[in-house]
Amino acid sequence: MVIFHQFSTWLSSLSPDILARGLRIALTLILGLLLVRVLAVVTQRYIMRKSTAQRQMIARKVISYTGFVLVALAVLGELGVKLTALLGAAGIVGIAVGFASQTSVSNIISGLFLISEKPFTVGDVIRIGTTTGIIQSIDLLSIKIRTFDNLFVRIPNEKILSSEVTNVTRFPIRRMDILFQVAYGQDLGHIHEVLAETARANPWSLDEPQPVIVFNDLKESGVEVLFGLWFSQSDFLALKNSIMKGITTQFSVEGIHFASPNRVIKVVEGSLTA
Amino acid sequence: MDKTGTAVWDKMEISVKQCVAWRFPARSIWVERVDNEWHVLSLSPEGWRGSTRREPVARSQKPESSLWRHYLHKEVGPVQPIPVLPDKPIVVRPDRSLTLLPGQAALFFLEIPVWFRLCTTVPRRLTIFEESIVVLTKTWFGDPITGELCYGLATRLHQGIDSVHPSAYLAVCPLSITNDSDVDLAFEKICLHVENLSIFRSLRRLWTNRLNVEFRGPDQGTQIEIDREAPGFEKGLTLFAEARQPAAGWNIRKTFGILKSFADF
Repeated sequence: MVIFHQFSTWLSSLSPDILARGLRIALTLILGLLLVRVLAVVTQRYIMRKSTAQRQMIARKVISYTGFVLVALAVLGELGVKLTALLGAAGIVGIAVGFASQTSVSNIISGLFLISEKPFTVGDVIRIGTTTGIIQSIDLLSIKIRTFDNLFVRIPNEKILSSEVTNVTRFPIRRMDILFQVAYGQDLGHIHEVLAETARANPWSLDEPQPVIVFNDLKESGVEVLFGLWFSQSDFLALKNSIMKGITTQFSVEGIHFASPNRVIKVVEGSLTA
Repeated sequence: MDKTGTAVWDKMEISVKQCVAWRFPARSIWVERVDNEWHVLSLSPEGWRGSTRREPVARSQKPESSLWRHYLHKEVGPVQPIPVLPDKPIVVRPDRSLTLLPGQAALFFLEIPVWFRLCTTVPRRLTIFEESIVVLTKTWFGDPITGELCYGLATRLHQGIDSVHPSAYLAVCPLSITNDSDVDLAFEKICLHVENLSIFRSLRRLWTNRLNVEFRGPDQGTQIEIDREAPGFEKGLTLFAEARQPAAGWNIRKTFGILKSFADF
């Protein structure tokens, strides 16, 4: 009650001119920001409804940033700030700030390159260094990723531009390469047949392109086999689990042995004498 | 009462606490009405290759399984099983190599496994569920970037309808191919957009629209026409299931897979 009384006293002490200006500023702020918000939402949800999430995000940000600047200029004009003088001062301040924020500027320019080059879009799964996740947003300074164990990762745009980025979901099908070793002394032709049949029996493995079965190398403990299966992006986990089970089950049924590390030690008679 | 042949697709009433089974060689589907729910179980029994039939099942005889699915639906009324074609294109790999010489035309009959869709009829038609009767392999048609995900089907290209055994779950697709190019047309893989085809029914068989395919050369698309009418190889055919995505008139698509391998190691 006391606060309200003090506020009304303060209001009545103000001149009508100041009151009107304050009202105009408040209206400009409220209506301007509301308009910007509505425009951004309408553009994203209705006008660009059929566009990609990436384009919707860019449009929303362009509208929001431009709108905020226009509202700020209108408020400053209402406050009687001369914009020409402000822009002149902003130039000088801009140079100072520019020197102080080279990294941020670099990130912004990198962000613009990323948006125009489009190595990935919102919703893609990318791998950068040891981080793999789904892109949540591509902003001016950084991209935001949600990893598969539900961690939020922010990566500066500058780092992305100078790093090797793998877009895991760019193409609709992929190949899953499984490397393992089988013990020496087994029929490789038979192993080839068993692997081909295992792939055929798996409902998530594409039969075309055909699976790749390559006897890759002669290792210390066995023959290294590369078993590559093509699959549709959405079937990754189903294929991964079922094919591992399929290989071990079929090898067990067919009596095929995986290689296990072994070493033959020959003791030459008389060589162990002290 | 047991139903066999295409009669397994007849509309039927399932009253409360009644269970009915649809048996196909590679899949059995049980449907039970319990209060406000449809209970559905679909199993693909290994090794069982019986005939196609529909039969009532005593509730004590229904299989115990954790795979029963439950669909809420208040109205009680007849259900309509409908055979529908798969939801993706099918890449047909003929069981033997066939080459159509330039200027020649041929008519083939393909057998395409249908999916089982169960619909309510009251107060309006609603799909309760649908799934494949025969599990087809997945395959890719085209190059790894612009191709499309399809089902794979190794089958025989019948050159006469007499060699096609009547079946209640294999729809016969009449495929007329004309080689209008100057080169041999070897059938290694044929991509059929079955989602554009409807299903017609007779007492003995299910049919799809007739497809007329015109091959103009490896560098040009293949012109495809889908006959709107029921195929004229059997009398008394009635339209039973509309196409998932009706095609608009003539259509030019890549139909023949001539590249033998595009996935180099």
